[in-house]
Order: sequence, then structure tokens, then C-alpha cells
Amino acid sequence: MQCVDTTQLLKGVLDLAVLAVLREEDGYGYDILRRLRDAGLQEVGDASVYGTLRRLYAAGLLTTYVVPSESGPHRKYYSLNAAGRDQLIRSGKLWRSFATTMDALLDDRGMAA
Amino acid sequence: MTVTEQEIADYAARVRAALADLPPAHRDELTEDLPEHLAEVAAEADGSLVDRLGQPEAYAAELRAAAGVGAAGTGGRRLDRRLGASVDRLRARAHRWDVQLGPPLGYASASEFLRLLRPAWWVLRGYLAAMLVTVVTTGDTFGVLPELNGSLLAGLVLLAGSVLASIWLGHHTPGLTRPKRRLLHAGTAVLVVFGLVGLADMNDRVGNGDVSYEQISIDGRYDHIRDVFVYDREGRLVENARLFDQNGDPIRLGHPTCLADLYVNGTGNPLLFTYPYCPQQAPFAPRVPAGSEAWTGVPPLPAPATPGTPAEPAPAPSGTPSPGSTPTDAPTTAPTATPAPSRT
Repeated sequence: MQCVDTTQLLKGVLDLAVLAVLREEDGYGYDILRRLRDAGLQEVGDASVYGTLRRLYAAGLLTTYVVPSESGPHRKYYSLNAAGRDQLIRSGKLWRSFATTMDALLDDRGMAA
Repeated sequence: MTVTEQEIADYAARVRAALADLPPAHRDELTEDLPEHLAEVAAEADGSLVDRLGQPEAYAAELRAAAGVGAAGTGGRRLDRRLGASVDRLRARAHRWDVQLGPPLGYASASEFLRLLRPAWWVLRGYLAAMLVTVVTTGDTFGVLPELNGSLLAGLVLLAGSVLASIWLGHHTPGLTRPKRRLLHAGTAVLVVFGLVGLADMNDRVGNGDVSYEQISIDGRYDHIRDVFVYDREGRLVENARLFDQNGDPIRLGHPTCLADLYVNGTGNPLLFTYPYCPQQAPFAPRVPAGSEAWTGVPPLPAPATPGTPAEPAPAPSGTPSPGSTPTDAPTTAPTATPAPSRT
């Protein structure tokens, strides 16, 4: 059986991670990617973040606006809207309970890292 | 910034090509910001896009997974993947050409220019459909205007109908289901082939002169003949002679090079051409009064050949046709014996 790796875990929680980094501050694509990596999600791929942003936007959880830039290309900023914040709270709760369950499971078996 | 606009456009095009199996609307939604996003990536650090992001096809696969749309040919066989990759490369190359050919035409890309021509194509497609109906129903050759049951008016109504239908179809093609779209494309291909064959056929007929001279008897063996001179039994030049074959079709030989004469004859209708075109170029001089030693004309037939008719005395000078004489002066016994053509 193939071991669980970070990439696989990320698939399930990337939505939540992206919503989380947008909670404090709006950001554009590359900026969001950098925040995720700075937070410790080194394996996250550019296309994954871009695809997730597009999907969340299509689902109506994000709004966008363009900020012209003198030095480089125009940047499309993403920000959480009300639906996005709702989703973040619900998914966050779900994650915490899931994580607690997993922690307990691992502790019971004496496998805590 | 080491990444050029062109590299960004190519990369985005290859990603889009790798997502070609998605419904167009969905794919556009997914990739509409991609060039801007790639530009951001390019602006953040050095190195080519492929170095930083991997091959566009891999990028597309990751994008597909992240955006929650099904993978193309999940776990597809190697051959499929290789085939897919070469198709993608072709698409990327086509995109490059598209972009390169655009500026000479005055547009951003060649496809943008072609898109403008789309309604014109719809009209042409409608016309071709009407012509196909004409050819199939009448068994006729490809003409210029459609006909229906021999009626030009009905043909024009058919033309208007099929052009409108074609335009409507053009507007609604994207909304058709895939099998219907395939059917439409197959039908369009048939029309294109039909149109090309029809045009080539028409071109052949025009080139052979068949369109205007269909009712005229011609034979390639007489190509070297430029004019025809008819002499009667007496060696007199017959003017305004008309030649017909056994079917009553005029025989056209030579070319009316004497334009002035052509106009004197009053009409450019080839059916009414009379010979010789250029009486003044007759190979044998008109007969001059008997006794002249300079005479070099056609000798009259010997008397025994026409025992029934008394030998006619040499015609008086006034009766001799001269090159400048008007057609009514010419002896007209032979031409008047000719049946008049039933068609003009």
C-alpha cells in the first residue's frame, strides 16, 4: 500500500488552506501560493492553487478585483465574501473535529509523532 | 523579467490544449486568468516558466485535479498519452502560427480575422446547399443560380431559405449536442467538396468555350484555318456564305479577325457569322474580264461537268464581286439555297 504523503493530504484541505490565508488579507495568485509555502505547505503546486482559486471563485466563495501595477503585470486579487467566510467557518470546524479524531486515533495506538 | 509575453502565451496555449476535452465554457472559465497569473509568476522570479512550473501538460493535469474536473483518460495508456502529447504540440504550433500570421493581416491573430469571415461562410454554405439540391433534383451540371423543378423563382426562394437556415445553424452550432454537431460538420465537408468539384467543372466548361458555343460544330483538326472562302462553279467568290452541319448547327471555323467587317455584318452573334470574314484576303483574285492574261483565279469547272446548263458567258465587270462590294452585290445563289437555321 502506498504511504500517505503530503500531496494527497493537501488535496483534501487545500480549499480550507486557501480560504484560511485569505481570511486576514486579500491576495493575488502568486502571493497566496507564497503565503501557503511560508506557512509550511512546501509541496503545494502553482497549478493547484490557481485551480483551487478558480474553483472557489466559480462556486461564489471569492470575489476578485484587479489592481494595476506600475512595475509588473496587473494583478487579480481574490478576497473572501460572506459565503466564503461561512464556508471557512464550517470547513474549519469540520477540520478540527476530524483532526481531533485522527489525533485520538493515533494516540490510542501509541503512534503519536 | 526574463520571460517574454510570447512564452507566456505559448505556455497558456499548451495548457488550454491539454484541457481540450473539457466543455469550452468550462475550460475558458478555468483558464481565463491564466496568462495574467503566469505573468505574475514570471514577474516574481527568474527562470523560464517550464523551469518553474514544469511542462504545461503537467500543469494542466494538476490544474484539472485542483479545479475538481475529471482527468483526461484517467490513467490513460502510454500510447494515448503520447498521442495526446503530440496533438498538444501540434495545437501549440498552430497557435504560434496563428499569432504570427495575424499582424500581416492587420489583426492580433489569423483566427481573429477568420472569425470575422464566419458569417460570410454561413451565407456561402447556404448557397452551396441550394446548389446541391438543384444538381440532385435536376441532374443538371453546376450552374450559377439554383433552380427547383425548372423554376428559377422557386430556386431563389430555396436559396433564401437555405441561406437563412445556414445562418441560424451558424449561430446555434455551439449549443448543439455532440452527435448533431458531428453530423453538421460531416454535411459541411460534403458541401465543401461539392462546391470545389462544381467550380472545377464550371471552370472546365468556360475554358473550353462550351458555355457560349454549345450549339456550334467545331473540330480541333481545323484549328489552323483562319477563314473560309467559298467559290462557285464559275470561280466567283461567294460572300456571306453560311456553313451548317447535318444537324443544322452552324460550323464555326477560323476567327473573325476583320473587326470592321464583323461590325458591318451587324452582330457579334457567332451563329450569324458569314464567310469569308475577310473577303479582301481571298487567296484567289476575283475573276477579271475574259482575255486578261493577269487572271490567276480558280478555273471554272469544265463545261462537260454541267451538260444541262448552257455555258454562261463571262460575267460582265459589273457582276464581278470585288473585295469592296457590299454583301448584297455578291452572288447569292448558294447562300439562299441554304436552309435558314431554326434557332438564332
